[in-house]
Amino acid sequence: MTLATIFYAIGFPLLGIILGLLYKGIDRKISARMTSRIGPPIRQPFWDVGKLLIKETVVPENAVAWIFNVMPIVALASSMTLLLYIPFGIIKAPLEGYGDLVVILYLLTLQALAMAIGGFSAGSPFASVGAQREMILMMSYEMPLAIVITGFALIYKSFSLSTIALTPVWTLVGPVGWIGLLLLLAALLIVTPAELAKLPFDIAEAETEIAEGLLSEYSGRNLALFYLSDAVRSFAMVALEVALFFPFTFSQGFGLQFSEPVSYIIEGLWFLAKVLILYILAVTLVRTSFARFRIEQASRLFWTYVNIMALLGLILVALEVM
Amino acid sequence: MPTKAMFLMIRQLLQRPFTNPFPVKYAPKNVTKTIEKVKLGQMSINNPIPVPDGFRGKLKYDPERCIGCRLCITVCPANAMEWIPEVRKIRHYVTRCMFCGLCVDVCPGKKLPGETAPVKALSMSKEFLLADYDKYSDNLIVEPTSKEQSLNNQEPSSDQK
Amino acid sequence: MANDKVSKISKRYEIPIGPIHPALKEPIRVEAEVKGEKVVKVDVKRGFAHRGIEYMGMKRNAIQTLYLSERICGICSISHPYAFVLASEKALGIEPPPRAQYIRTIIAELERIHSHILWLGVVAHEIGFDPILFWTWKLREKVLDVLEAITGNRINYAMYMIGGVRRDIKESHILALRDMIDYYRKAADQMKDIFLSDPIYKARTKDVAKLSQDLALKLNIVGPTARAAGLRVDIRQDIPYDAYADIDVRAVVPQDIMGEVNGDAYDATLVRIYEIEQSLDIIEYCINNMPEGKLLAIPNYVALLTTIRKTQGEGIGAHEAPRGEVIHYVKYDGTRDGPVVWKVIAPSYNNINCWGPLLLGAEVADIPVVIAFIDPCLCCNDRIAFVKDENGRVLDYFEIHNMSVNKTMKIKRMLGV
Ligand code: SF4
Ligand code: SF4
Repeated sequence: MTLATIFYAIGFPLLGIILGLLYKGIDRKISARMTSRIGPPIRQPFWDVGKLLIKETVVPENAVAWIFNVMPIVALASSMTLLLYIPFGIIKAPLEGYGDLVVILYLLTLQALAMAIGGFSAGSPFASVGAQREMILMMSYEMPLAIVITGFALIYKSFSLSTIALTPVWTLVGPVGWIGLLLLLAALLIVTPAELAKLPFDIAEAETEIAEGLLSEYSGRNLALFYLSDAVRSFAMVALEVALFFPFTFSQGFGLQFSEPVSYIIEGLWFLAKVLILYILAVTLVRTSFARFRIEQASRLFWTYVNIMALLGLILVALEVM
Repeated sequence: MPTKAMFLMIRQLLQRPFTNPFPVKYAPKNVTKTIEKVKLGQMSINNPIPVPDGFRGKLKYDPERCIGCRLCITVCPANAMEWIPEVRKIRHYVTRCMFCGLCVDVCPGKKLPGETAPVKALSMSKEFLLADYDKYSDNLIVEPTSKEQSLNNQEPSSDQK
Repeated sequence: MANDKVSKISKRYEIPIGPIHPALKEPIRVEAEVKGEKVVKVDVKRGFAHRGIEYMGMKRNAIQTLYLSERICGICSISHPYAFVLASEKALGIEPPPRAQYIRTIIAELERIHSHILWLGVVAHEIGFDPILFWTWKLREKVLDVLEAITGNRINYAMYMIGGVRRDIKESHILALRDMIDYYRKAADQMKDIFLSDPIYKARTKDVAKLSQDLALKLNIVGPTARAAGLRVDIRQDIPYDAYADIDVRAVVPQDIMGEVNGDAYDATLVRIYEIEQSLDIIEYCINNMPEGKLLAIPNYVALLTTIRKTQGEGIGAHEAPRGEVIHYVKYDGTRDGPVVWKVIAPSYNNINCWGPLLLGAEVADIPVVIAFIDPCLCCNDRIAFVKDENGRVLDYFEIHNMSVNKTMKIKRMLGV
């Protein structure tokens, strides 16, 4: 075990949590300003987690206790691991070489699955309906997500994210591929809120319909873990999109050169700024300006329109590279 | 897929928040301490939006001008007025009041020497920050004289059904 | 695990909605049995907000009862007094001065505006559109400010009196009213834009809570809900009173606006937004044609109470509240200064009847929309409460009273008081 491993094992999850909660705070603030409210202070998510941690953790009587308690941990662990696969600008991903886009795809699924299983094990009708909805939604958005990732595999002939992040994808294809990539990007952007269980696809946690659904029985530490996993996953998902579609580095973009340590810091900050912008556009703005879909509408949307869009993009990309 | 709502939200992002930051912008860490500080004048709070003329706030009572006609007791829908037979005046429980202003409407009042028209004994102030921990606190009972004198043997809580 | 899940997916669940639930703002219980996402069985249970207000009113004098009626509902805080004063004036043979009639109409229409905007926000919230909830309620502040300036408070205006109104509308108020009318003319256009053209709003409300005209007639649905189903019912049109008699109010129905009727939640939105515009027109007419004169037929409350004590009579007052018709029946027998009989019928009482048929076969996601689309006001609703013992026998007043006394004693013993 080297020093670097220890840093990655402890430092990275901590960094992930801090960044996730920070971005959540910014997201809440901007969403509030969009609705003419003052909104909570940006540190609010940290307080929320702290408060949840000191609250009592209640396990419902007819829940399968061990599954019910384990699933929040699984969810958080999977989002954390997801973060370890994403390169921060030019800083290499900690788990570089131990897995690739396919693993990321599964990790994304795992978190949603953990929530669904947790919901089923809660033994409450609200949570069960929520879990059913989560499963249906998952089945719907996995397909377009997989198509997007296949598209990248076609272009790079590799599933490795670091390879992808090294050269911006836009430079590798011609005009037809550009259109294809734009379609893939659009499909991925539509999948994002579904993947993150945000409006308009927070169907599994619909407050007014099924009283927070999946999470209705969770409290205290378990809820805090889900909250954290949501924060980390939101950050990781957007970071993944940035790594896939906008890997432009600061020095490339502005034609500047920096010495070694400075460039790491600047590129890191540049990456965070890109993530923030995309976060606001793809998560905050979307969740603030749409109402919630019904589950069957959402799944129709994914199975038909988004799938067709993604497939079309894939075909265009394939035409270009074949 | 940009919708009208999305443009509305972006437009609102550029405007100032509509929320009135009264009494403070963010919830303080310790509410009781903050209140204490405000009372001591060490901290200032944002002012509430001014209320219009004719606002119906806490009742003001001038026992000097009360003739003891008991009309306010007759019309008060909430039974917020209590008759004090010894002094022939009324006692008003703010916590029971529903701020309809009927008592002010009916109150005949008294003409003090040198005045042309009678002035009502009751009037409505603009005071509306009436929250208290104790519903029988001094602030929430309007009485003709100081509390000790008129209390006599009557405990207010036992009068209230 | 997998097998378990499959069997659970096809299982029937009992989803309890209420008495406390995020979709409900007041207590009522909807028991829905769902299979997957479909509601297969539904039962609506009312009676969680019975307060015995009518009984209290029959123990007080008429002025007190009038203000008690204002407390029946916080949102329609002028509708109940309006119906009560109309009924009382009929019973007592008092004619309010014309200026008072116009002022009453203005206040009632202002209330309709704020109530309808509130409804728009609530429906948006039920489908997860919270930003629009905040936006509509931001717009609503304007009318509340005007109401506060005129009446003294934002809610519970304490404005009406048997035989007139208590406060005048002054020049400055008229300026504020005109300003408000311009503001809402623009806002109504914006609301049409936002609500009626939003793709997800359409997807969530079209064909949801679809109420046919037949069913609406059969269940005696009233107010905007009935108008959304295409029925031309409106008390202001059918039995005009006060200033409405001078104005030709026509019921707003979707067939006049869109050319077709669906009777769904989308049409209900349509009707309510256009009714806001209609209210603005009515207010504008009223301030332009406001007669001069007194405010009260009997300015002295003591004289009024004396008149009531000497008069025998009964009357029915009907007012078109924002949610539909509210009807009050009062009877004075000439012995006391308050009503001996007071009966209230609130619009939600009829409208809740449609929940059952509309929820059957709906999706779980539609439950909040169906619940909200009639704009239920549950505190107006519960006029009578039955208490049954474990054998299903209805307990009478004395039994319940005894039980309460016994329970108090038991608690006292337990606490050792
Ligand atoms: S304002 Fe109304 S409720 Fe309050 S004391 Fe006067 S009459 Fe009674
Ligand atoms: S306060 Fe006014 S109404 Fe009440 S008893 Fe005194 S004089 Fe009469």
